Amino acid sequence: MSPRSLALLSRTAAALLGGYALTCASVIFLGAVLPLPKSQAILAASLTSFAVYTAVIVWVFATPNLKRIWWVLVIASLVLTGAGILLGGEA
Amino acid sequence: MSKVESGAAEGGLRQAMAWLHTWGGLWACWVLFVIFLTGSLGVFDEPITRWMKPHLPQAAEASGDTGLDDGFDRPGAVRMGQAWFEKNQPDAHFWGVGLPSDEDPSIRLFWQDPQENFHNTRIDARTGQPVDGSHERDSEGGHHFVHMHFEFHGGTAGIWFVGAFTMAMLVALVSGIVIHKRIFKDFFTFRPGKGQRSWLDAHNALSVLSLPFQLMIAYTGLATFYMLYMPAGIVAHYDSEEAYFADLLTQPQHQEITGIAAPLAKVDELLVRAEQQLQRPASFVSIEHPNDSSASVLVFGRFIEKPGEYRLLGDGGGQVFFDGVSGAQTDIQMPGELRGGAAQDVQSVMRNLHFAAFGGHLVRWLYFLSGLAGAAMLATGALLFMVKRRQRSLNEFGSATPRVYRVIEVLNVGTLTGLSIACVAFFWGNRLLPLGIDDRPVWEIVVFFVVWLLSFFHAALRPASRAWVEQLLALAALCLLLPLLNWLSVGEHLLLYLQRGDGERAGVELVALATGVLSLWGARRIARPRAVPARARQRAAVAEAQS
Repeated sequence: MSPRSLALLSRTAAALLGGYALTCASVIFLGAVLPLPKSQAILAASLTSFAVYTAVIVWVFATPNLKRIWWVLVIASLVLTGAGILLGGEA
Repeated sequence: MSKVESGAAEGGLRQAMAWLHTWGGLWACWVLFVIFLTGSLGVFDEPITRWMKPHLPQAAEASGDTGLDDGFDRPGAVRMGQAWFEKNQPDAHFWGVGLPSDEDPSIRLFWQDPQENFHNTRIDARTGQPVDGSHERDSEGGHHFVHMHFEFHGGTAGIWFVGAFTMAMLVALVSGIVIHKRIFKDFFTFRPGKGQRSWLDAHNALSVLSLPFQLMIAYTGLATFYMLYMPAGIVAHYDSEEAYFADLLTQPQHQEITGIAAPLAKVDELLVRAEQQLQRPASFVSIEHPNDSSASVLVFGRFIEKPGEYRLLGDGGGQVFFDGVSGAQTDIQMPGELRGGAAQDVQSVMRNLHFAAFGGHLVRWLYFLSGLAGAAMLATGALLFMVKRRQRSLNEFGSATPRVYRVIEVLNVGTLTGLSIACVAFFWGNRLLPLGIDDRPVWEIVVFFVVWLLSFFHAALRPASRAWVEQLLALAALCLLLPLLNWLSVGEHLLLYLQRGDGERAGVELVALATGVLSLWGARRIARPRAVPARARQRAAVAEAQS
């Protein structure tokens, strides 16, 4: 596989898998911090998630620097998930 | 394939989005076309079911009547259903009784066996005997299109499949908006008879005009299945889905099965109590863990559509929960009562928006046409891709380019016209398959898939332009002859329907006839393209050079 094909594969994976991971993290985080009863906060965050996912995919395909994309996706996913679980009170 | 990715995230936002729109849109457009076409037909699932099952009564105008006495003995039906279960399915984990009504005067029974598989059957409300359906035209009816639309008949995997492509749709819409410079001007721009430019104009006009609908329908479709697609929040913060739901809707917690035998309360009496409190007839009784100490009974009030009174929210029929052993009432949700706060209201509105569960016939027609506009947007996009490259190959795939183009062309024919033919063939299968055979509804669906598969073979074996014309002619023939087939096979026809005021069944045939005429016109256009004046051709060439 040529380096360009590899780059495209990596970018697509970042958009689909990395994007999904970050979106899940955003739901876990918002489910914990939105000022609503917990179940409603999760529902609100879940309903918003499809817009978040769309935005992340578009961002991945609009940003030239592939390495930066992966760093942002991984770190943001970990931070948001960790914070969400800590603030949510139960794992 | 070194040139395929040239353009990914290159050359500024608009160019990056153009790349994403072209390639993301191309690989998604065929599946999305299937989702849109079958979804549009699914809007009319009930009329289609009635056409396919001539023994069903004509649709009655909703009376909005909430009277408890509608001539059906519902407590008797519950006793009959319970007796059938005690005798035939004593070990099931779940019993459900669909109560008789004008729509279906039989008793529908549903159960979940100890292996958690769902089953159903029907018994006669007067005799308690199984309904003999061998003389009836047993069919999946319009539900076939609904199931194709949201799961391709593939269960949970199918729902995920459709969800993934719906996300692709959202991304294609957003990237399409970004690359579109003149979103309002293109409302009014259509230059027919100019090859590629016309296809682009058509694609733009269709997309821009129906954009609000396309965004809404894609997003609300995802929101409908949020628990499946996006379970992260629930998994992270709750022990189970049931616990989340009970918390959200402040309902009694789901009980685990205990294995301790306990006699079931008198369900017919619970039904009467529930109906008196809801002040309307019940439609369904569900019994969780019958004859176990954890048993619970849930009675659903009937959904009653009041003529001329349409709402996006709070139209539920209400439900009453009982302890299945003591018979004590554990919760009641009155008709129209809202729970779960604003977030749940939003989800309910989204679902009702997606299902066109408001506004009656007018809204259903609007959805049908908007859905077809979406299908046409996808079709023109797919065609545009090929029209552009048929004149001058862009050589994206190196030496494999002609072969890839050929595959795309075959997929275009087999999806756009092939699926349409398969949809009509499904109606033909309904009238031609013999009655009383085992799994008749499944065979109708087999007809659908076999015809669709054949259309791909045909597209692969014929030159593209011939394949288009031949498939359009086949589609036209099947559509235009459908009323005749109906008359020859079951003796009913359009005039009879109109005379009886059966707008639903008549509508099915009128849409078939309109589709037939359109396909005939399309076939003629392709077979004998209108002579394009030299000046117009010149202008088209200039426009193309600029685009």
